[in-house]
Parts: sequence; C-alpha cells; structure tokens
Amino acid sequence: MNCEHARLLIGAEPRSSAPELAQHLQTCAACAQFREEMLALEANIERALQQPPQAAVQRGAGSRLRSAPRQPWRPWALAASVLFASVAVLTLWLLRPTDTLAHDVVAHVQAEPESWLGQQVSAQEIGHALNGAGVALDVTSDKITYAQSCWFRGHYVPHLVVQTAQGPATVLILRHEQVKGPRNFHEAGMNGVIVPAQPGSIAVLTHGGNADLVARQMQQDVRALPESQ
Amino acid sequence: MRNPQPESPVLSVGGRLPGADSGAPLTRLFESLRPDLVRFAQWLARDRAIAEDIVQESLLRAWRSREALKDASAARPWLLTIVRREHARLYERKRLELVPLDEVAETHAGPVSVDTEDDLFALRHAIMRLPLEYREPLVLQVLGGFSTEEIAQELSLSASAVLTRLFRARNKLRVICGLSGAPDVSDGGGAA
Repeated sequence: MNCEHARLLIGAEPRSSAPELAQHLQTCAACAQFREEMLALEANIERALQQPPQAAVQRGAGSRLRSAPRQPWRPWALAASVLFASVAVLTLWLLRPTDTLAHDVVAHVQAEPESWLGQQVSAQEIGHALNGAGVALDVTSDKITYAQSCWFRGHYVPHLVVQTAQGPATVLILRHEQVKGPRNFHEAGMNGVIVPAQPGSIAVLTHGGNADLVARQMQQDVRALPESQ
Repeated sequence: MRNPQPESPVLSVGGRLPGADSGAPLTRLFESLRPDLVRFAQWLARDRAIAEDIVQESLLRAWRSREALKDASAARPWLLTIVRREHARLYERKRLELVPLDEVAETHAGPVSVDTEDDLFALRHAIMRLPLEYREPLVLQVLGGFSTEEIAQELSLSASAVLTRLFRARNKLRVICGLSGAPDVSDGGGAA
C-alpha cells in the first residue's frame, strides 16, 4: 500500500482496521500523523451530526451574540427590526391577492394533464393521497379517477379528480391554505372556486362544469384526521 | 359505497403514528426511530419542514411495504434507506435549492480548530455546505452506520467512487478546521 492509497482509505474510513493499512502506518510516520488528525476530526464530525442542523444554527447564533461586544442600543434595534418585520409580513399577508393561490392551483393542474385521463383508482391509492395530508373523505370511491399526494406550496396535498354528471372536476384539499369565503375564478379555460373548509380550504377546477356544486359537496365530505391518538 | 378506512395506521400532519394499532410493536418501533429519521433527513434536506414531510412520506411508504421488513433489528437502516430515497425523489422532482444557511456560515469563514462550541457550530455549517454528492455519503456513513459497500449499492456507485467522495468530504472539512488538505486523489469511477 502506498501513501496515496493509505490516505484515501484513512480519509474515507478513519476507523478502518484493514491489515494493509495497519502495516503501512507502522512504517510511515506521516500517514500515522494524518490518521491521528483524521480520527480527531472524525470525533468532531460525529458530535456535529448528532445535533440537527437548524438547532445548531440557533445555538450557534446565540453563542455568537453572546460573545459579541455589548451595544446598549442593540436590543432596541433588534426589537424594532422584529416589530417592523412582523408588521410588514402581516400587512403583506393580509393584502396578498387570493388570485395567487388560484393561479398556483391552475398551474399545478396544468402541470399534471394526465390527471384528467384517469380511469379508476383503488381505495388504497385514495387513502394514501388523503392520509398524507391528514384528511379523510366520505365519498364514493368509484367516482374518483385520479388520486395523488402532490407537493404544493410547501406541503403534500391530496390531488383528486372526481367524476360528476358534467364531467371531471379536479379537487385539491389545501389543509394549510386559509380563505375567508368562496373565491371564484376563471383561468386557462377552466372554472374554479376555492372555498373554506375544515381544515383549510378546498380548490375545485372544472372544464365547464359546476365547480361550486362540487365544492359544496366536498366541504361536507372532507374531514380532518386527528393529529394524534 | 364509502371509502374504506385506511387499512393501516398512518401519519397525521402532526407527525405521529395514530390509529387503532398505535400500540402495535411495529408502530412503536417506527415512532421510536422517528427522531433519528428526522435528524438524518434534516442533514440531507437542510430544512426542518421538508425533513418532516420526507419522514412522514417515508413512514407511510414503509408501512405499506412492512412485509419486506423481516427482522426488526434491521428497521433502522431500512427506514434510513427509505428516507434517503424519498429525499432523492423530492430533490429530483422539484430540483430544490435549499441553502438557507449559507449567509450565516459565511460569517465563520476562515480556519478554525474544533475546540469550542462555536467551532463545532462552524463545523456543522461546513458539513451543511458540502455539496450533496459529498454530504450524502458522509451522513449515511456517520449517522446511518452504513458501510462503504452499502453506500455504494444505495447510491449506485462503485465502492471506490464512494471512498473518493468520503475522502474529499473529510478533506474539505480538514481545511475548514485549519488543517492542511491532503493531495486530492483520482476519481474512483462513477456509477457501479
């Protein structure tokens, strides 16, 4: 074993006890020193990984603040910044156009055109799509022709297509999106509505069908699963 | 016909395993491993909320294929593998750019030795900033306890490619910790 191979092995597996490596270390002081350093580093890597990364940030940020020179105005400046940021965020949130949510719903549905072509899905697939978002649905499963758990605005949400007398209707159960009242919209040739629900809201999209009717039905059929039992 | 109730305990949004079988041994086992899985997912995804989602989806997948778990003592590596794959799936699907802590890490640039909590903090950030191709095998090895051969199989790489990645990951961390970097090694090959 040469030094390059020894260092590759030490760097990759610092605790390696391969006989060839042990033999090389007995005759090569430089590689033995390298291994000592890597074992020390390894102990610290293990310590570092034992803590989740974001907890590490909070602790580290805190310790940096503690070690910084004290400035009497800093707490006030920090408080003012936090207050200002909170007010700004709240204002933006209150003023945000609900159209944005509608637009995102339409964009999501457009990105999954195959959803309109589904024939039949199993109760298990429906269960998977719903349970991932912590909701259940009391509806005849043979009317559902598409069921996926989709990543939408930072959460997995059930994406269903329900067959109605007027054609298929897409339903997104948005447990984490709140709306104050029904919001109708028309975009990309689709009629849609977002209605409040327990929990969150429900978006319904149709091609010419009655989205309001489907949404009202869904409001009755969707229920939240308990978060812990 | 009403939809049948889920056949199995599933994860609620709160991240627990509820349901009629919540006292079942497998459910308890999954719950007991959950903190490990979340921490592992966090080191991969670098985001707490996404890590929680990954673990939730992974546990659902694990529950659905629980028949594949023959030996309870193998549950941890089995679940870690599922979490890694779920992370990879999400990463490929969404091409996530999750580098939320780079700015914080910038303030700690420069050589340090790992003697204090602050220095350990710097090391954590250095690990966070490793490219996924280096961070992933390192986390699999150190946190997951996987061997080089197991990592190679999981990542569809040759064993020598994994050795090279592990070497480079630690070599980068060496430099950040103020030690001299070892000369780089030649690529150990790519996919197995």
